[in-house]
Amino acid sequence: MNERPPKWPLLFLRWFCREDYVEEIEGDLTEIFHRRLHSPAKARRQFLWNVLKHFRPAFIRSINVKPRKNSTAMIRNYFKTSFRNLVRNKNYAFINITGLAIGIAVCTMIFVIIQFQTSFDTFHPKKDRAYRVLTAYRRADAANMLYGKNIPYPLPVALKTNFPAIEEVAPVYASHSDELLVVDANGATVKKFKEERGLFFTTPAFFNIFNFPLLAGSYAPLKDRNTVLLTKETAEKYFGNWQDAMGKTIKLQSGGFMFDHGTDVLKVSGILATIPANTDFQLKLVVSIGTSYIGTIMTEATNWGETTPDFSCYILMPPGASAGNLNQQLSAYAKKFQTPENKDSYIIQPVNEIHYDTQTGNYSNKTISHQLLNVLWLIAAFILAIACVNFINLSTAQAINRSKEIGVRKVLGSSRSQLQIKFIIETFLMVTIAVILAAGITLLALPSVNRLLELSVPFNIVVNPAIILFLLAITIAVTALAGFYPSVVLSRFNPVNVLKSKHAAGTSKGISLRRGLVVFQFIIAQALIIGTLIIVKQMDLFMNQPLGFDKDAIVTVPFRTDSLRIARLDYLKKQLLSTNGVQAVSFSSNTPVDESRDTWNPFSYNHSSKETGIYAITKFADDEYVPDYKLQLVAGRNLQKSSMVREFLVNESLVKSLGLKNPEDILNKSIGLWNNVMTAPVVGVLKDFNDRSFHHKPAPLIITTNVTMYNQAAIKLTTTNIASTMQSVKNIWEQTFPDFVFEYRFLDEKIESFYKQENQLAQLYKIFAGIAIFLSCLGLYGLASFMAAQRIKEVGIRKVLGASAANIVYLFSKEFIILITIAFVIATPIAWYYMHTWLQDYVYRIRISGWIFAAGGLAAIIIALATISFQAIRAALANPVKSLRTE
Amino acid sequence: MQYHSLGEFEELVLLAVAALHDEAYGVSIQESLAGKLSKNINISAIHVALKRMEDKGFVKSRFGGITEERGGRRKKYYVITAAGKHMLDSQYELRTALYKMIPKISFGR
Repeated sequence: MNERPPKWPLLFLRWFCREDYVEEIEGDLTEIFHRRLHSPAKARRQFLWNVLKHFRPAFIRSINVKPRKNSTAMIRNYFKTSFRNLVRNKNYAFINITGLAIGIAVCTMIFVIIQFQTSFDTFHPKKDRAYRVLTAYRRADAANMLYGKNIPYPLPVALKTNFPAIEEVAPVYASHSDELLVVDANGATVKKFKEERGLFFTTPAFFNIFNFPLLAGSYAPLKDRNTVLLTKETAEKYFGNWQDAMGKTIKLQSGGFMFDHGTDVLKVSGILATIPANTDFQLKLVVSIGTSYIGTIMTEATNWGETTPDFSCYILMPPGASAGNLNQQLSAYAKKFQTPENKDSYIIQPVNEIHYDTQTGNYSNKTISHQLLNVLWLIAAFILAIACVNFINLSTAQAINRSKEIGVRKVLGSSRSQLQIKFIIETFLMVTIAVILAAGITLLALPSVNRLLELSVPFNIVVNPAIILFLLAITIAVTALAGFYPSVVLSRFNPVNVLKSKHAAGTSKGISLRRGLVVFQFIIAQALIIGTLIIVKQMDLFMNQPLGFDKDAIVTVPFRTDSLRIARLDYLKKQLLSTNGVQAVSFSSNTPVDESRDTWNPFSYNHSSKETGIYAITKFADDEYVPDYKLQLVAGRNLQKSSMVREFLVNESLVKSLGLKNPEDILNKSIGLWNNVMTAPVVGVLKDFNDRSFHHKPAPLIITTNVTMYNQAAIKLTTTNIASTMQSVKNIWEQTFPDFVFEYRFLDEKIESFYKQENQLAQLYKIFAGIAIFLSCLGLYGLASFMAAQRIKEVGIRKVLGASAANIVYLFSKEFIILITIAFVIATPIAWYYMHTWLQDYVYRIRISGWIFAAGGLAAIIIALATISFQAIRAALANPVKSLRTE
Repeated sequence: MQYHSLGEFEELVLLAVAALHDEAYGVSIQESLAGKLSKNINISAIHVALKRMEDKGFVKSRFGGITEERGGRRKKYYVITAAGKHMLDSQYELRTALYKMIPKISFGR
């Protein structure tokens, strides 16, 4: 008799069969089974067959009128009463759900941003074996090793021939400011395009390392010169339709040099599929690397000292190869080419670290440090915590109103655990509504956040199931965090006490916890306010600190020269100066502060054949440069007009770094640049101005004349009628240089762009601080309104005994002011510590003064008082007769 | 009162219930019918017939005791009701009346 009927048919029977029949049918079938046990296999088959024969409408349980267990009915009832409760307490529900929705929306937003940021270049199947080659070098004035993404021109070829273990070697050069001409059958230009970025020179090996699929054509033609792959978007922009682009020719005028090197005719031999947003290779055109003047230099150079900023190299390692091993071999190999002046070594970096390498940077100029990602997570957690705290505060405060209901439920036999489940379900209901709202808010707000952070983060639930998982996780986590404590507190009520209206029991404890939570909220809010004030002040310093030169109303217009155009520069200047609204015109290679476009050169001093080991920023500029930008001389005189290198101007920093005491000491001493190719005397010393962004101190600087090096005109305008002046400038420009796309940029905007990251951070902090304070006040408002309702009798008695309205408002405000003051005392050192650490990164930084903290604390108190004042004043003005009459 | 008919198989089951008196439950009915008809009848058919007749009010049921071989499930015993007996009687009468009307000559030797 140990034989049992087969398990699955039995379970199936129990599942489908009507409850009132299952006993009989199962019993009969089992009995038959046991009678047939003399052949067990047959009995089992028979049993299954019998079960299947019973699977007919007469025995299947009804779908609609499922006979329910009592517990499911109970849970349905919980949902029903929870929903009714929300509808009845609309204010409470509104405050709670809004708070949670905003908190969750911030969290979701940060989640999608972080998810996007961490997805960069993760879609390449061979990403774990792909590396970037970096140059490791040491500057005389810096202690640490520095890494540059540019590598010497001969390195890719050397890697390929000397390191056969490396599977693929792809040199990459990212060009900029290229002009592309679409030509017709006769070779005449039909359309002109300027691509600021996105033109990459490389070999087919690049596509063996990285996964950018083709729509048409193949990668192989890239090994020959003068071929180009277009992305679908670029092809559509140039030819209207990407299918038409295949096999067509375009002309390239590659940018990035001062001299014009003519055009190259490129054959379109492939169309790349749309480049995803989450890659640091934002390709638009991919040109074979030997192409054009610069390509020839790159592929044929043998000098290990030659490089250009955007020339780098990517390699693919064989599976299982060790990066450390190759790094050792590389540094040994690099020694062969080292000279006393150039001790560069080479190192490889995994591709999946590039997006987080804020020091070295990458082609998209979009990097994010792990530190910033962590800060974002932290802020998300804090904002969610504030929202949860609101919820806990309001739920426990509201407990008084629910005490009768709880009492009745307990009297009718609810156990504590059942009541806890009820309150958890109530929380779950609100959290679910909040999560749905939050998804909506995220969807609406994401475009503006994208614009602010210059990202293209998608929010697509269908494509990205991780978002759904995240929202589910948030729902569960918030329900647990926010629902657990109130459910414990509420279910603890003693029914006898609450039904006799003695609900004072146990609430004093709740009040102290609520106070603690309010303090916690305001610590976060005030720390964020203080942090934001400091960042904003620091930004203010960046924008308004005197730079030491004039940046207002100066427009720069880039151009490229050849011998023909050099001859026209004087004419251009004359024309521009005769225009209404133009005050001065100066030709130069760089603006006074130019950051990444600056060139740094070593130099020799006082006819020495050896270089000093000091690197100085070198700018080429005409005699108008100093007056145009209002640079100040501390010794000597300005440059004289010349088309060759004839005289040098230096700055005080350079004088100091040479160890000279007085600026006058350097006058008439010689300086040699480029291995003494250019040697000339120093004629003047400039007062130090900020020739680098405020992240750094002023650097040594050399300015000299050389007409072949000029690539931009700096035009100083009068501040009236700028638009019409620029129109005439444009006309003159296009007359003089008809084959250029005219574009211009205001100097102050350019300087602002150096602080883009700080600006974005400041904006983010403003938003976060705003949300934190809003959420905290939402909670405060709810708390104050419940306090007012609870103490209505107390207020009535006080008024009867002669208290004035002001006394009552004071009574309400006092407690909150004390709480916020406690929060302020705790928030101040935390905020000071973090902001102090943040400021250490800047050479020019504000002093953290006391008034910032005072302002932050005061702002919090004022906002909080404004929030509760409405409730306090209403309570104070209420007629005591009304509140005391009812009992 | 609604008129209820009785199908052929239902009639057989009802007869078995009546015959087994107080010992009629699914398996015993199946066995007695299978023995008499000398053909295999699926238990589900008997369950269907019993449920229908219970709805029509020809049989009523009660639960019996638990036996080991039924895996802890109780037997459901069926007994014929007065309406059921009446139905069987009228069915029997109808048949005999009709039977008697068969002219004897037709089958004469």
